[in-house]
Amino acid sequence: MKKTVKRAAVLYALVAAFMAGIIFLAAEFVLNGSQWANSKANLHIYSSGTVANTGDIYDRNGVTLATSENGKRVFATSAAVRKAVLHIVGDSSGVISTGTHNLYRSTLSGYNIFNGIYTLKSTGSGGNVTLNIDSEACRVAAEALGSYNGTVVVCNYKTGELLVSVSKPAYDVNNVPRDLRTSSKYEGVFLDKACSGVYTPGSIMKIVTAACAIENIPDIYSRTFECKGEYKTGDGTVICNGTHGKVNFRQAMNESCNCAFAQISIELGADKLLATANSLGFNKQLYAKEVPLVKSRFNPSKTSKTELGWAGIGQSTTYVNPTHFLAIINAIANGGTGYSPDRIKQTGTLTEIMGRMPEVMVKMPPTTASQLKELMRSNVKDKYGDSRFPGLLMCGKTGTAELDDAASHSVFAGFSSRSDLPLSVVVIAENAGWGSGVAASAANAVLQYFAGK
Amino acid sequence: MAKVKPENRFRQSTVMLLITVFQLICALQVILSSEEISYTMIYIFGGYIAVEWIYMIFGVLITGSDYFELEAIAFFLSGIGLTICATIGEDYALKQLIAIGLGIIVFLTVLLLIKDVRVASALRYPAAVGSVLLLGVNLVLAQSTNGALNWITIGSFSFQPSEFVKIAFVLVGAVSLDKLLSNVNLARYIVYSAVCIGMLFIMRDFGTALIFFFTFILTAYMRSGDIRTIVIICSVALMGAMLIIYLKPYVANRFAAYRHVWENMDTIGYQQTRVLIYSASGGLFGLGLGQGKLRDIFAASTDLVFGMICEEMGLITGIAVSVAFAFIVIYAIRAAKGAKSSFYVIASVSAAGMLLFQLTLNIFGITDLLPLTGVTLPFVSRGGSSVICSWGLLAFIRAAELPSPDVDMSSAARRRTNS
Repeated sequence: MKKTVKRAAVLYALVAAFMAGIIFLAAEFVLNGSQWANSKANLHIYSSGTVANTGDIYDRNGVTLATSENGKRVFATSAAVRKAVLHIVGDSSGVISTGTHNLYRSTLSGYNIFNGIYTLKSTGSGGNVTLNIDSEACRVAAEALGSYNGTVVVCNYKTGELLVSVSKPAYDVNNVPRDLRTSSKYEGVFLDKACSGVYTPGSIMKIVTAACAIENIPDIYSRTFECKGEYKTGDGTVICNGTHGKVNFRQAMNESCNCAFAQISIELGADKLLATANSLGFNKQLYAKEVPLVKSRFNPSKTSKTELGWAGIGQSTTYVNPTHFLAIINAIANGGTGYSPDRIKQTGTLTEIMGRMPEVMVKMPPTTASQLKELMRSNVKDKYGDSRFPGLLMCGKTGTAELDDAASHSVFAGFSSRSDLPLSVVVIAENAGWGSGVAASAANAVLQYFAGK
Repeated sequence: MAKVKPENRFRQSTVMLLITVFQLICALQVILSSEEISYTMIYIFGGYIAVEWIYMIFGVLITGSDYFELEAIAFFLSGIGLTICATIGEDYALKQLIAIGLGIIVFLTVLLLIKDVRVASALRYPAAVGSVLLLGVNLVLAQSTNGALNWITIGSFSFQPSEFVKIAFVLVGAVSLDKLLSNVNLARYIVYSAVCIGMLFIMRDFGTALIFFFTFILTAYMRSGDIRTIVIICSVALMGAMLIIYLKPYVANRFAAYRHVWENMDTIGYQQTRVLIYSASGGLFGLGLGQGKLRDIFAASTDLVFGMICEEMGLITGIAVSVAFAFIVIYAIRAAKGAKSSFYVIASVSAAGMLLFQLTLNIFGITDLLPLTGVTLPFVSRGGSSVICSWGLLAFIRAAELPSPDVDMSSAARRRTNS
């Protein structure tokens, strides 16, 4: 009898095991609760896979980009704005995975471990998100691209606020085209090319090569290079966009001389080029705050001089992500500190009090930054012409990304050096030809919008 | 005597008052949430609270003792079950209230019967034969409900025989092994257990079969205290289980979702993922009674009721339910220490172990910490058989503490002088 009573203590062990399980379960709720509650199967928030009730999304000027009314999602009133901000706001089904609807869904649902989604349930709206995005500027940017697909990103390089992020093709969420998933003109429509796209950069890559040259060739400014329209590397030929004759470093940059930059690249070698590119964030998983960016890739050939030359001028197997390149421009414009482009202004009471701390994505030595800035200013002043960017004190570099089987992409990366207009811009107009054409004009149009405000 | 000193215990009226306040809040929330005030609902909640107080007051008057913690916990848990039913509809609440009433009657009946060890002992053969017959009839008449064949329907009335067999199983185990541990007694008990578990297995009610097996092990341990024997039994059972899975792969398929519920969230992981999604939605304090979405999922108020509690009443209430069960078990250990004979010790421990194990299978099954076996949450889940059985099992724990002046007068006398 006494023994039997003693054995009853086995129940203590069982209760302890059970309570350990309960604690484990509670810990799982703390760790995964947000993910669970924000599942698309949660009918408090979603209705057959599309978001029905959640917080509002506003642009920086208080324009409503998305809200919930009677269990339905309502978007911006202007069709042109809806299309322009499609990718940054995201669709209600979360197909555009980097859209604010999907990426910030736990903020929007107002979920927290204490209240769950009680706020959403009781008020019909969760946590509101205010974007740094200027929706009207996005409309201007989308229009500036004209009929071309591509992307435009604009950022305040002193603060990291992302003001414009447009990706085309786009569609109107209130009027979804029937052939959205079948027609070739909507190919890639669910991809936000600004953060999830990569492009052959063309000559804007010469900025990276120049950065490497500035840091590794002390007498780079006193060098001269011979351009006969092509450069024989020994194991092949690099073709230039013109015949520039004898050019110095600055002229090579102004003219975007392939012969000169191929020679510089080969002299620097693959290792040094790669080191500079990596230090600027290439080949690395980057996040623009919470937004994952597709990796920019740079892989200069160690065996073929020709391939190495092409890599140094942004062709070959080099790919850049537009938002990442915007951060590189930010670094050049902001004395070496390139802030992460941040789409979010406010997400709730805590961020309103604390402010969103800027994050650095790209760093470079201040001397490199100031020399690159000077070169890019010279590009506009001495080559493209300030008349193309009236009143902006623009610094920039055009690029023409050559494609094997289609018209080249027109690329422009630059910034205004006006202290009252600290804006950086990257534009890619697909199959639009020369970089000095559509992309440069679009960059000007968007920055003029801000200059005129 | 390992009795808790009176000053360390709450006064019963204080505990009851707190529980009543909790239940009044629940009732108000349910009643005020509908547009028209339902008088039926007022009667149901009013009736339930009245039953609690009448039970307590009569209990104190008859026994002269003020300690009814065990019943208080059961009333708390049953009240949550009643509240959940009330949020579904008046019929459900009424049925549940009747079930709780029947449960209390079964509780008192079992208590009266086993108060005298000789009566308990005499009941073992009827209980054993009756339970085997009941399961046998169940097997023949079985109606398939959600894959398990564990229901008997007579007219408009359906019940789960296995629930009632649980009470008999604990009784038979405790009585058989209370006697001298003769080989004959042991053999009979093993055969009886094997028959019960085997029949449950054929019915594909794996959850209940597992509960019976666990209780068998616990009872065997209580009597023998031999860990080696337990290890051997478990190993044999494990090999048997593996053989069955090898021969009948569908058994394993039923547990294929385990730890893979999110990959199968719209098929075999449907219930578990919904429990997690909606429990998390509730946060610590819940979305409010009737405000949940889990209620629309199959078996929400029965097997998944813990998820409903978390979603609508909050994780805190869910944890409170778990802790309440932990108290029942700790109560059982303490009651066992003061028991008059080893019958009560074994009965108390195996009944508490059975409740705890079923609770474990239920809560961790629906949240994917254990494979989903489809067992109910004792006291709380909607359904008459489950509630009645839970109260019936409670009687074994209560009996261990009952100061009844029979059989062993000397020990009862000792107790009186001590306390």
